[in-house]
Amino acid sequence: MKLKALFAVVAATLALAGCSVDRSADQPDKPTIRIGYQSFPSGDLIVKNNKWLEEALPNYNIKWTKFDSGADVNTAFIAKELDFGALGSSPVARGLSAPLNIPYKVAFVLDVAGDNEALVARNGSGINTIADLKGKRIGTPFASTAHYSLLAALNQNGLSAKDVQLVDLQPQAILAAWDRGDVDAAYSWLPTLDQLRKSGKDLITSRQLAKDGKPTLDLGAVRDEFADAHPDVVDTWRQQEARALTLIHDDPTAAAKAIAAEIGLSPDEVAGQLKQGVYLTPEQVASPEWLGAEGKPGNIAVNLQSASQFLADQKQIPSAASLQTFQDAIYTKGLPGAITQ
Amino acid sequence: MCPVAHLPEITADGGVLSLALSADLHRTVSSRYQYAVSVFVDIAPDESLADSPAAVVPSGRWRGRLTRAALPLLSVVVFFVVWQLIAASGIWNQTFVPNPGAVWHAFLDVSTTHDGVRGYAGYLLWEHLYMTLRRVFAGVVIGVVLGVLLGLVMGSVSWVRSVLEPWLTFLRALPPLAYFFLLVIWLGIDEAPKITLLALAALPPAAVATTAAVVAAPVGLQEAARALGASRRQVIRDVVVPSALPETFTGVRLAVGMAYSSVVAAELFNGLPGIGGLVKDASNYNNTPVVLVGIFAIGISGLVIDGLLRAVERRAVPWRGKI
Repeated sequence: MKLKALFAVVAATLALAGCSVDRSADQPDKPTIRIGYQSFPSGDLIVKNNKWLEEALPNYNIKWTKFDSGADVNTAFIAKELDFGALGSSPVARGLSAPLNIPYKVAFVLDVAGDNEALVARNGSGINTIADLKGKRIGTPFASTAHYSLLAALNQNGLSAKDVQLVDLQPQAILAAWDRGDVDAAYSWLPTLDQLRKSGKDLITSRQLAKDGKPTLDLGAVRDEFADAHPDVVDTWRQQEARALTLIHDDPTAAAKAIAAEIGLSPDEVAGQLKQGVYLTPEQVASPEWLGAEGKPGNIAVNLQSASQFLADQKQIPSAASLQTFQDAIYTKGLPGAITQ
Repeated sequence: MCPVAHLPEITADGGVLSLALSADLHRTVSSRYQYAVSVFVDIAPDESLADSPAAVVPSGRWRGRLTRAALPLLSVVVFFVVWQLIAASGIWNQTFVPNPGAVWHAFLDVSTTHDGVRGYAGYLLWEHLYMTLRRVFAGVVIGVVLGVLLGLVMGSVSWVRSVLEPWLTFLRALPPLAYFFLLVIWLGIDEAPKITLLALAALPPAAVATTAAVVAAPVGLQEAARALGASRRQVIRDVVVPSALPETFTGVRLAVGMAYSSVVAAELFNGLPGIGGLVKDASNYNNTPVVLVGIFAIGISGLVIDGLLRAVERRAVPWRGKI
């Protein structure tokens, strides 16, 4: 009797283990491409929602995994669990520097932070300029591009992290702390940012910081080993990402609809968010200002190196990596032709 | 459950112990019905003392002590050797398995001021640990006091138990991470939500253990005490509580463990300074050596706290296992 019961339990466990709710419908005979994405509005979500990669690469399984931060994407790259990943320039600069030295390359610029990331001061806190922040409490998600931008903005105004009280908060928690009056200012991003703006005002946005030489970007990275083994897949991936950028410019309504379906906001809200970000055209992505051309890595390497230097100054990494390291880490193969056609 | 290190003391002189035991009971149990005490002593079996092999060979006692001290040390040494070998083999990248030297270096960095940087994120390791221990202490005191009181009431009044038990089980089943965000919205980002979370984590084990212990208080003793003229209050104070105390202490130790294991969750928002905040922040930067320093700090301080609790338990309830 007991043995029978044991068998029943084992059988039930095995049956349950087999019942997965994963609907990715993997076919075991095809190789799998693993893509890490984040929920910030970008071409990545359009590609995913419209299943463009699945159509363009019928001989592969495509596995999309959602991540909440660039730090998590870096961790997944270190663990060799990702082939492509979307992450901010600050995590990329950290990943390419020692001690991480993650073997990946920057293959695409998803978007450039504009008015969609900003430093906002709460009404009634008596803060009108960045210099007024001295001694105040500022919330921002640590290790994010917003954190980097906040430190850069303070730096511009002769303040350092020690002159203010920085509080590590995720965007939703910033909103809670803001409503309760626990923080006086916050550097955050959409959609939380729009809610903060209802009872606060912008001190500086990332668009301004980009003009001042401290741009923050969202980048698409590809694992070195994968890029060496499957350059054709990387080409297809870049073409689909370029197609998504074109859609954002040519048909923002369709773009907003696809993104809205992925992040659970209304298409109108997403359309508003798309207007606040900076989305390059494929030609711009392959221009010397950003990725550059084959053999001539663009200015993005300089941006990343300066971000790395900044992280080193902030003691977040032991020392900055050289410009050469970043130039080597730009995937320029076949550019500009590979994405502009 | 009787702590091993306690045995030699008992075996040294069984007679003295039984005297001490009854003296203790005299202190706890009102002298008005000391016959009930004799019930305690009479049913306290002496077998556990007689059976102890250490009592037979005095030199075996020392050997036993040596083994007990050497074995954990040996396991620690083996652990570090294996770790060093794995790190040196280079199978995994330094971010996965940093070598012990790198972790030691991170420990020194976090504990001192170097190159003008004070510890980690502006605080030294002991300051992180102090802030965390302070939060855990406050949370555990609130959680355990409420939990034990709740347990006493639930154990003695059956309708209260029926009403509260589902709620307690509900709370016990919740991982703190699930509701921490609500605490942040309601209580802000400072100390209040952290201490509340730790108290909520500590309350159920204390309450459940106390309830079970009170319910399990020997009916024979209770009836004997009542037959001897004790009032309901006296029965609870002098029979139920002393017999429930050992198990309650186990509940307290579990409660401290639960609270301690919720530390990283509690310090997820605005956790710096704090050892959980340090671990979370260092993971954001994929800074494995500092993460390991934090993990060791949490683990070792957890061991020390549990050791202290066991020592207190030995002093406070020496009659554990003897009723």
